[in-house]
Amino acid sequence: MLKYLKKYWFFCVLAALLMVGEVSMDLLQPDLMAEIVDEGVLKSDVGLIVRVGIRMILFVLLGGLFGVLCGVFANLAAQQFGNDLRKELFSKVMHLSFQQTDRFSTGSLVTRLTNDVTQVQHMVMMSVRGLVRNTVMFLGGIVMLYFQSPRFALVAACAFPFVIIFVTFFLRKASPLFAVVQKKLDGVNHVMQEDVAGARVVKAYVKEEHELNRFDRANEELCSTNLRVQTILAFMGPCMNIVLNTCVILVIVLGGISIKEGSEMKPGQIMAAITYLAQILHGVTFMANIFQIFTRAKASVDRINEVLRCPVVISDGKGETEAIKGKVEFKNVSFAYPNSPSNLVLNDVSFTVNAGETLGIIGATGSGKSTLINLIPRFYDAEKGQVLIDGIDVKEFTLNSLRGQVAVVLQKAELYSRSVEANIRWGDDKADPWAIKSAAEIAQADDFICDTEFGYHTMVTEGGHSLSGGQKQRISLSRAVLKNSKIMILDDSTSALDLKTEAAFFGALNRNFPDTTKIIIAQRIASIKNADRILVLEHGSVASMGTHEELMKASDLYREIYHSQLKEGGEGNA
Amino acid sequence: MRDSMKNLPLGFEKGTDSTEARFKASSPQAGPGGGFRPGGRGGPGRGMGQAVEKAANVKKTLFRLLHYFKAAKKLLIPLFLSVVLVTLAALFAPNLQGDAIDHIDNHRWDDLIGCLIFLGIAYLVNIVFSLCQSLLAANLSQFIVKRMRHDLFKKIDNLSIKYLDTHSNGDIMSRMTNDIENVSNTISHSLGSLVSGVLTVVGTVAIMFYHCWQLTLITMFTVILTIVVTKYMSGVMRKVYRKRSKMLGMLNGHSEEMITGYRSIVAYCKEDDVIREFNETSDELTKVSITAEILGGSMGPIMNCISNISFVIVAAFGGFFAFHNLISIGTISKFIIYAKQFSRPINEIAQLYGTIQTAIAGAERVFALMDEPDEDNSGSVCMDRVKGEVEFKNVNFSYVPEKRVLHDFNLKVKPGQKIALVGATGSGKTTVVNLLMRFYPVDSGEILVDGVNIWDIKRDELRKNIAIVLQDTVLFSDTIENNIKYANPGAADEEMIYAAEMSNSAYFIDHLPDGYKTYLASAGAGLSQGQRQLLAIARAVLADPKILILDEATSSVDTRTEKNIQDAMVKLMKNRTSLIIAHRLSTIRDADRIVVMDHGRVVEIGNHEELLSLKGRYFELYNTQFSGNKT
Repeated sequence: MLKYLKKYWFFCVLAALLMVGEVSMDLLQPDLMAEIVDEGVLKSDVGLIVRVGIRMILFVLLGGLFGVLCGVFANLAAQQFGNDLRKELFSKVMHLSFQQTDRFSTGSLVTRLTNDVTQVQHMVMMSVRGLVRNTVMFLGGIVMLYFQSPRFALVAACAFPFVIIFVTFFLRKASPLFAVVQKKLDGVNHVMQEDVAGARVVKAYVKEEHELNRFDRANEELCSTNLRVQTILAFMGPCMNIVLNTCVILVIVLGGISIKEGSEMKPGQIMAAITYLAQILHGVTFMANIFQIFTRAKASVDRINEVLRCPVVISDGKGETEAIKGKVEFKNVSFAYPNSPSNLVLNDVSFTVNAGETLGIIGATGSGKSTLINLIPRFYDAEKGQVLIDGIDVKEFTLNSLRGQVAVVLQKAELYSRSVEANIRWGDDKADPWAIKSAAEIAQADDFICDTEFGYHTMVTEGGHSLSGGQKQRISLSRAVLKNSKIMILDDSTSALDLKTEAAFFGALNRNFPDTTKIIIAQRIASIKNADRILVLEHGSVASMGTHEELMKASDLYREIYHSQLKEGGEGNA
Repeated sequence: MRDSMKNLPLGFEKGTDSTEARFKASSPQAGPGGGFRPGGRGGPGRGMGQAVEKAANVKKTLFRLLHYFKAAKKLLIPLFLSVVLVTLAALFAPNLQGDAIDHIDNHRWDDLIGCLIFLGIAYLVNIVFSLCQSLLAANLSQFIVKRMRHDLFKKIDNLSIKYLDTHSNGDIMSRMTNDIENVSNTISHSLGSLVSGVLTVVGTVAIMFYHCWQLTLITMFTVILTIVVTKYMSGVMRKVYRKRSKMLGMLNGHSEEMITGYRSIVAYCKEDDVIREFNETSDELTKVSITAEILGGSMGPIMNCISNISFVIVAAFGGFFAFHNLISIGTISKFIIYAKQFSRPINEIAQLYGTIQTAIAGAERVFALMDEPDEDNSGSVCMDRVKGEVEFKNVNFSYVPEKRVLHDFNLKVKPGQKIALVGATGSGKTTVVNLLMRFYPVDSGEILVDGVNIWDIKRDELRKNIAIVLQDTVLFSDTIENNIKYANPGAADEEMIYAAEMSNSAYFIDHLPDGYKTYLASAGAGLSQGQRQLLAIARAVLADPKILILDEATSSVDTRTEKNIQDAMVKLMKNRTSLIIAHRLSTIRDADRIVVMDHGRVVEIGNHEELLSLKGRYFELYNTQFSGNKT
């Protein structure tokens, strides 16, 4: 983490020095004031009052200037540091492998990028300004107090352990509760979220009352935990005040005794001592807060480092794929996800898809269909065996050229908050409106897009929530069509289309891209029945492969699936 | 390129100035089912910057907030008393400190002891009552927030489906999380500070005047300086902070979107573009942040400067006055402390202004939601023994006025009949369900259950007789048992197990570590889609309704699981009036009647064989299913 700060070390040092300057000016004030009172006022020396007064104001202005400049440099350091870190982290996230993002989960990555970076940035800021300020304040205060009278310094020294004890006691009591509060808060949000999302079921079963009770329980828990934390913290301030106030009384008493005994002590010094005391104790309380920020920031630093230190899993090859034909071959491929290495998702899979051929893949949930196709554009790397395109191992290609030749439409359509046009253009930056429109026509998306008031300029809301599942799928199909690559992979990406629309899409696709190798995963047999060949996957192995007719004869599994979908009517029609 | 711009294809012709255009959330395609969005995130960045939001109607909102305070009268009065006592003690303490120094200066030792005792008492009062103040404020804020959350949730519980379908879940959620949290923080932290701040300022001025009006007037100079600087600075800061908070929101939104949609970015090799875009936003944010933080950070030194100038002024003039015997040394000491005490609350009040504004704006949003009308609860007819006859009579309906979804829809279902609704996406199938459940009101026409208009039947009564199984299964973070018994919490365990067996879910439940007592974390995320569906069917079995609705219950599961679910559904439909909506025709072949819908109209009606022999829409649909993608 320090590596990123190194670049700005000059600003940091400058800010720290300026802070020392500002605090020194602050610390001089009570002493000068004591001089005004004791030398000027008591000795009736107006000239001295004016002279020292002007000196004081100069110091104050200088201190203010130091303070502002310190802020400037501290911010230049902290903000730019944060910016570098954020950019580095984002770029790292974008280059993580699918395995790694799976492990972190997207939600947690977003939190790391936003909250955690802010947290660390805040810490840098606090260290440069707050920590320096209060350390100097604390030490300087003790020194100045000592110069007023060693006895006063003794008072401060006696008070110090009490402050430490109070601070650690309360923080130790309250800190674990912060996590509990967070958990209870999640609980409240959870009920809320479930109910808003599942409102139809709640209402259909007339459970409004029940849900309100469930919410009230979560709410009660949150409020009582919150109250516990606040109660503990409520004691902290008064306890610190007990220490401070006792010190003030002690200083007055000690000062009085000194003067009574005829020592050199003067009233102005007592006044100055009280001010210094307040500064010292304030400094201690502040440091306790900084300590808290540090513990929180430490957790953030760890979470950020965890991402930054992820090794590069999928490394670039060297070859270009400019002129591939589109033959895809799997040779004895086995694969297991890293979190459960013993559980083979793909087991010794071998098959070939010739250039321009259409391959359908069917199989139960969890049979490894998605994993299989994820190996082609190297979202994951095969553990054993080889995946080949035109006879060349996919690992030989550069990632950009490989993925540039493979268009994948994922199961979950991912859209971005920009116009429909821009979402489709994602497939080819240089496409003109006509190309976009004809891609949308092939994907059966043109009609509904043109139906909207702003057509292709319509903005997609975040995550595409404003669109139905079928519409989202059709836009992401348009994107893949526009990409016009040699190999097209559809991972169950027509599931939300009704059969007629789906059939129209496949028809248009075949007419327009007869030479493209197409690999289509589907749940419905109807979607892949006309594929050149169909691969039936079961428990990560190829159960059988062939045309629809061949499979109907040879594969029990395929027949079973077929009948469950079409029942006996299928044979009647065949 | 310029030429092609003149002659753009259909759908592109609208100018680029329409970038604000969005799909309406209630567009018929998005349909009512579009309401199932994954619950939102709170507004990004809100509450992170100190940007101040303005409430539209402060007076009205404050008045309603007052209503909540009224209920907490028992806390409010002691809280107010504590604040007054703390402030008074804080005001008198410096006075006594000054007296003590005077006594030392004049060697009046006996008076010093008395004075110190008083000082001790003042400190004690301050400490004890500031503790009371904090505790009472904490209790007050939790009391109020608890009630507000309760009221808000109750409202959300009673909102109409129409409202929930047409408003973003994220927005509704953020009122519960962000806005109420803001109100809570303000009540517990700011309210006390505000009262004591005002009291301190007034009290300090009074005491200072009492001691030496000349010096007070001189001190006032710095007070005015403080107010002017604060006002100016906060005006500038507000602008910059608001800009920063907007940028932060953009950055957070961008990163969330890109990380969530990361797979497609990788699939299309867009990493570099996306990173560049992110870096631009990030740089922009950094620039604004530096300005904002420098301005914010300057506030402290500047205030420090002003307070020190006032210190010098008091010392110099105080010295001068003391020299002329107008005041004592002790008075100078008092003035110094008072002058310091003075700038602090003014500074605080200035900062509080922003916090309180934000809280009021939050409260306003909460109240706005609370003011939404409740779901229509009219109807008084009780239905004890529903036979299960359903009739749609000339029903017309539209989600948005200009786009009609159902046209003159007529359908009569006899008790115990199985009716299947088929048709393309957007043909209005799900709408039929929405109307029957009274989720939406019809525009014209009538829906009758056993011959009674459903709007004359007691709402809860109507819904208790209908069970629905939806495409997106809704499970709750609770045990399997409670999820199955959701509709019928009093059911015996035997009944529950029977329901599980009926729905073919008993097998997988028995294989879970705690069986029926297994707790479904985060709403059953660990279960497969098929298992979730089976649980939803078990729930419907146990509800034992007269009317059953199955809305596309099997579209996202593989065929083997689907078969399992279908078997369960067939058992469930026995002796009930059932409405089935499906994409897959195999699901509905056995229905008594099949209703083919197209653009909100019934185009064909009859059983499977009848419809096939018609060679119409159904025949067409059926053949597409068989012949696959051959066109």
